[in-house]
Amino acid sequence: MAIFVNKDTLVVCQGITGTQASFHVKNSLDYGTKVVAGVTPDKGGTLHLGLPVFNTLQEAVKETKATASVMYVPASQLKAAVREAVEAELDLAVSIAADVPLRDMLEIKAMLRGCKTKLIGPNTPGIITPDEARLGIFPVDIHKKGNIGVVSRSSTLTYEAVLSINRAGLGQSTVVGLGDDILIGVDFIDVISAFNHDDETKAIVMIGQLSGPFEEAAAEWYKRQHNKKPVIAFVAGDAMPFDHNMGYAGDILTNGYVSVQDKKDALADAGMIVVNTVSDITKALVNLK
Amino acid sequence: MNIHEYQAKNVLKHFGISVPNGKIAYTPKEASAVAVEVSSHGPWVLKAQIQSGARQSGFFLEKSAGVAGGIRLVKNRRAVASETEKMLGNTLVTIQTGPKGKVVNKIYVEAFQKVKKSFYLGLTIDRITSELVLLAANVPDGNIIEKAINNPDEILHLSLNTLGTTSQQQIQHIMKFLKLPKRTLPHLEQLVNGLHKAFLGLDATMIEINPVGVTSSGELLALDAKISLDDNALFRHPDIATLRDDSDLDERKLQARRYKFTYHDFSGSVGCIVNGDGLALSTMDLLKEKGSGAACFINVKGGVDKDKIANGIKIIMTNPRVEGILLNILGGFVRCNLIADGIIAAAAEAGLNVPMVIRFEGTNKDMAHEILNNSHLPVIWADTQEEAVDKLLKEMEAAV
Repeated sequence: MAIFVNKDTLVVCQGITGTQASFHVKNSLDYGTKVVAGVTPDKGGTLHLGLPVFNTLQEAVKETKATASVMYVPASQLKAAVREAVEAELDLAVSIAADVPLRDMLEIKAMLRGCKTKLIGPNTPGIITPDEARLGIFPVDIHKKGNIGVVSRSSTLTYEAVLSINRAGLGQSTVVGLGDDILIGVDFIDVISAFNHDDETKAIVMIGQLSGPFEEAAAEWYKRQHNKKPVIAFVAGDAMPFDHNMGYAGDILTNGYVSVQDKKDALADAGMIVVNTVSDITKALVNLK
Repeated sequence: MNIHEYQAKNVLKHFGISVPNGKIAYTPKEASAVAVEVSSHGPWVLKAQIQSGARQSGFFLEKSAGVAGGIRLVKNRRAVASETEKMLGNTLVTIQTGPKGKVVNKIYVEAFQKVKKSFYLGLTIDRITSELVLLAANVPDGNIIEKAINNPDEILHLSLNTLGTTSQQQIQHIMKFLKLPKRTLPHLEQLVNGLHKAFLGLDATMIEINPVGVTSSGELLALDAKISLDDNALFRHPDIATLRDDSDLDERKLQARRYKFTYHDFSGSVGCIVNGDGLALSTMDLLKEKGSGAACFINVKGGVDKDKIANGIKIIMTNPRVEGILLNILGGFVRCNLIADGIIAAAAEAGLNVPMVIRFEGTNKDMAHEILNNSHLPVIWADTQEEAVDKLLKEMEAAV
């Protein structure tokens, strides 16, 4: 089962002809991902990595029946790329773009409201369902198929969490990187909720970090759920000295400055298993068994 | 990117927002001269231009600056010059600057404005609703954070659209919430519309007017102004990008930025090289747990250019406070082999005189191991970040 993507998901790549895109799409194809087409304006009709290239996403989707897109477009073109994905009524769009302007994300989030298209990212390693599908830039050789769902704000700590799960002799159902920009597509709640409904997922590992209200929102939501799976949570940034922004507006939205300990307390209070280091995830999983 | 108060006020004027008359001065003589230009008579307000809030309640590290904070009310021109002299070149510490404070090298001289009342107004992004939100509150004692903690219901949250048009209904709502006198209505409309358009038009991440002053005629004045701009959107605003003031950034931070990396200083002795903020945070957490701490870290996230990576690593290698180097890389987009090449190039130029523990995982890890083993650099390998921290701290202890 897994969530969002599996071995049958037909994937199209927006911006397929770029250097980084070529490297990672080739890895994804070798991994077994069903990438069926690419989109690059003005290169329609050509072949790239053995895949047909289309001028627009609309054409690519019409020809191939793809339901998901992995986007290797630069930050400045993300808004246009997401609009195409929404218009093509895709189920999923994944953006790895870094440095996306906040105003563009504000407009993208408004665009996605009430649509069926889910956006993962931007500024994320993407999503991977081990041995089935890889959309993004995840390293190919560290994941193992299994029953633990992973969701993380940090890219690199996602890999760290995966290694901790492997060390417990377990594997992953699906791994989702949320990205750590001010505004993001899917959040902890969207992903944990999907894992709760996925038969293959038995427990969830969640990696949060300093700043932003996403962990608190997840805690508040999780507390209210009835049929829920165990969540092991880690929040990074405890050693980080207090670093205030220039104004107060951010702190007003969180009703005062929020520390990593505040986040951990909220998650523990909601019934999650909170660990102090990423490697403690291994122990916590062994204890669950 | 943050800009100074005087720059923010200048920018906001273009969006129809009223601000008191003011001019910037770099010397006491200049301050005295501009004082008469902004107002024919006193009092004047002298405002230290550092990028921080809470300047009024701040204090100077140097005795010569006197006991007053970074905002000073003066009655005559002689005092304009003497108080400016006391502040210039000295270090102002506020709750937002950290204990090191920031050096004041310019003073904003402003005409003092008598106001009937004042209130807080801020625009920022609500990360949960993914909307632009306006925050407003009457804060008689000026302590907006205290209110956020103890009486959050007394702060208005109002979602604003992405078009830059605030509705009549929303303006009325703010009027009522703040209990503003009727004659302020047209002024509030102009102020809120101006801020709304400024936020979107400037690609801001935060605009804060703390406080807005209400004059006896109902006019609304931005008595202070803070603007944070989105670094990711500066390419759309070449004119605003020139307002950047790097005078309080150190050389290493600037160097790192040249290669699109981020660099931070701390008080410990371990130099960390990582590829991601989360990894940086968790590495620092581990060091803290083991009773040590980071001297600095550089985040080479997104680095796929060998020369840039080498230059980034050199910034850590040449920091005299670094007694050991911890390299923790989880390759995804970043490829371990390019980092290995970067280490060799950096060590060839800067020399490797302290212990270095390396932990590679992910994309092209094996290639990276081979490259470094062939180079015969005395690096120590670790498989996990815990092992890396343990090995490094042991080496550093042995080196003392």
